[in-house]
Amino acid sequence: MTAVSALSGGVSRWLLRKLLGMVLTMLAVSFLVFAVLELNVDDVAVKVLGQFSTADQRHAWLVENGYTAPFLLRYVRWLWEFMTGHWGTSTYYREDILTLIAPRLAASGLLAGAALLVIVPTGLVMGIIAGVREGSVIDRLVSVFAIVTTSVPEFASAVFLTALFVFWLGWLPGVSTMADGFHLRELVLPVCVLTLYSAGYVARMTRSSMVEVMQSPYIRTARLKGNPMRRVIVRHALRNALVTPVTVIMLQIPWLLSGVIVVEVFFAYQGFGTLLYQAALNTDIYLIEACTMVSVVVVVLTQVASDLLYAWLNPRMSIRGAAKAGAE
Amino acid sequence: MQRRLSHRCIWPYPMSEPPSALKRSRGALLQLKALRNNDGSEPHPAARDLVHDALRRGTDRRRVLRVLSWLGVSAVSARAVLGLPNPKYAQMPLQAARPAVTPRSGGTLRFVCAIQQMTDPALTTWIEASNLFRNSVEFLTYVDSDNITHPYLAESWHPSEDLKTWDFKLRDAVKWSNGDRFTVDDVIFNIRRWIAPASKSANRTTFAAITGVEALDELRFRLYLSRPLCSLPEQLYAYTCPILHRRFEEQGANWPRNPIGTGPFQLADYHVSRLAVFKRRRDYWGPPAYLDEIRYADLGTELATHVAALAAGQVDALYRVTITELDLVRRFPNMQLLTEPCAQTLVMRMKQDQKPYDDVRVRRAVMLSCDREQMLRLAYRNMGVLGEHHHVAPFHPDYFKLPPIERDVAEARRLLAQAGYPNGIDLTLSLGNTQGRYEQDTAQILQQNCADAGIRLSLQVLPAAEYWTVWDKVPFGMTYWAHRPLGIMALELAYRSGSAWNESHFTNARFDAALDAASGILDPRERSRAIGECERILQEQAVMVQAYFPKKFTVVSSRVRGFRADPQDYYRMDRVWLA
Repeated sequence: MTAVSALSGGVSRWLLRKLLGMVLTMLAVSFLVFAVLELNVDDVAVKVLGQFSTADQRHAWLVENGYTAPFLLRYVRWLWEFMTGHWGTSTYYREDILTLIAPRLAASGLLAGAALLVIVPTGLVMGIIAGVREGSVIDRLVSVFAIVTTSVPEFASAVFLTALFVFWLGWLPGVSTMADGFHLRELVLPVCVLTLYSAGYVARMTRSSMVEVMQSPYIRTARLKGNPMRRVIVRHALRNALVTPVTVIMLQIPWLLSGVIVVEVFFAYQGFGTLLYQAALNTDIYLIEACTMVSVVVVVLTQVASDLLYAWLNPRMSIRGAAKAGAE
Repeated sequence: MQRRLSHRCIWPYPMSEPPSALKRSRGALLQLKALRNNDGSEPHPAARDLVHDALRRGTDRRRVLRVLSWLGVSAVSARAVLGLPNPKYAQMPLQAARPAVTPRSGGTLRFVCAIQQMTDPALTTWIEASNLFRNSVEFLTYVDSDNITHPYLAESWHPSEDLKTWDFKLRDAVKWSNGDRFTVDDVIFNIRRWIAPASKSANRTTFAAITGVEALDELRFRLYLSRPLCSLPEQLYAYTCPILHRRFEEQGANWPRNPIGTGPFQLADYHVSRLAVFKRRRDYWGPPAYLDEIRYADLGTELATHVAALAAGQVDALYRVTITELDLVRRFPNMQLLTEPCAQTLVMRMKQDQKPYDDVRVRRAVMLSCDREQMLRLAYRNMGVLGEHHHVAPFHPDYFKLPPIERDVAEARRLLAQAGYPNGIDLTLSLGNTQGRYEQDTAQILQQNCADAGIRLSLQVLPAAEYWTVWDKVPFGMTYWAHRPLGIMALELAYRSGSAWNESHFTNARFDAALDAASGILDPRERSRAIGECERILQEQAVMVQAYFPKKFTVVSSRVRGFRADPQDYYRMDRVWLA
């Protein structure tokens, strides 16, 4: 076996293993979701037809929609329909679920992207400065700021920022519905809340990592060779120090896409989180199922991307390394 | 007539009335002949007697005016005869309001309210949803904020002397938004589906007395009733009674998908939980609306967010605020806080066919434990009036004052012991904070009150949306009931045996008979006495704990004109304009 084919074989195997893990995770979650929501068919009928429906109507609906089949068969059928893009109709919104979810996911993506654009540089810069100047006043200030902001829940900071910038100063809009199209001003407050909550966490992680890296022998060598401090940080320390924060940042993505329910609801932002919240409140089971599956897909894909990025940043954990190990 | 008047007017006026009022009343008596129906015809035989008695015996003239409007008497002529001023700020359906400044046409009003799922307006259970379709579909009658019934799609009506046959004449030249002519077929289609045995609409209970409907010609129809129902025209403005197109069911029975209406606006966009847009109809049959467009936005359930949107100028009107947001709203000079006394209330009802609530002694023990004053003071900052455990408010025109039921912990303990619970009892009250946190505050006070009597009350607090799926199923639940302009309307809906919304499963033949009797009485005093019997039965049977009637608050921006708080929350937007 040549080195190239061994390498590509290793990468394929690695990817295959990841994909298999993804599929298994999604299958497990899908089974759990389906079991929780659709094991009791009578509940399904009540949720779809409403509490005022008669027993006869429910029975007719169950027969018509194949709910007389065994549970496992129904699960397989549901899974197949989900994979082929037939996600059904929302019982609350009365709209096709796929067309309902797509714009909401895009809106959450926009919010998540805007938030990451602020969180990542802010968190990294604060963390790097604090890590490089360990024990200084700046380090302590960053640490206190990070602890305070990460300990304040989003709903509290949302109220605080609204009171300050909407009610008192009157500078910013109070809700972010984007009802009349995209307005950058409407993104400011939700992004600020998300940044306050996350940037401190990223800063703390970056700081710890930076402190550790800055004490490494190779950094000392680089400094002794007369390299300027900026060059030492950018060329030598940063890449290694980023391994931990990148993992943290990658974990923020699924949270920003599907977990910022509080922020989206508070600012009436029409994103995926609000949709999931409404689906849960109104026991819209098909929509809950779809949203959960989308969340799982987002989480799993982010994890794969995180692994790839991690491997790129840390040669000791590289795919190439895995490939070599596979070739031997 | 002249002889009869002189006979009745010996010295009929209350001594407390000033001489000017006396002069006005004398003049009014002489003008009795001026009393006319909406179509200019002679009024119902009882109408002049009512006016006569009002002037002679000093009955509240507004209550008489209200009854006259049920009989089809023109509000303008009735006000003149009764010596009542015309309202400065009436929202008359077909007459432009006359504010000091000339209304301006154009603009978009942005209104915050829940955008709920709606398909068939007759099945609606939410007033917010009705306020959406109210822009496009119209009603036979219109009840203004002063509770006076006016013609709307029906131009006039005439009840028979026994109030069991009602002839309605529809307005000519009304067109549906799809170009069809509005005819009697549309109305008959609607009434028949309301009263059909399979109907799931609350209208089936409300109009249970209707036995038949018959077309007399293209614009006139007749309703046959099994018993007198004098408030029928007012009840036709209930939010479940919009007149839909005669082919509504053929076209899928889904109004937002096929939004045909006769109203001043046309539905242009509708997304549940997000937004609804209505645009002004240029071909509307009546005076055109001032606004070009109304955009309803659903900003979720967090009311502080709604206030923030109003403060930032992103919206113009909020459907409601609660006591919690009141102080915040008052700080902003650009907001108009509107309020009206109203009979909205929290009913903590016990299901009569479930243990242990099937024992009246248990129910009564809970009722006697309740400290109404404390609930109103602590949970709603005294901004409301006390209830009397019978769902009829003191400002309902048919209210009858009964001796108050005071808190009596010793008696509650005695009743519990008698019922077989000498060591107290464990109960659970379910609630959903559907209108705000004050619901839970009220429940917590009841919890403490009950503890004194040995009732260990636990609270099951559900999300609002979840509560509405079980509101009529839980054994002991706190349900918010919206304002009804007449006490009898609430009693009909919530306590008549077998009624669709009878959540307490209260069944009492004596109560039903008392309701039947009250519904046919025109004289406000007699009617109130008859309702008193219903109130007494509800108290005796301890159907509910009903501590207070909280005030209702609405907020609009200072640029919104022509908008008036409505006790029922029925908002017509055709007279609203933006400064």
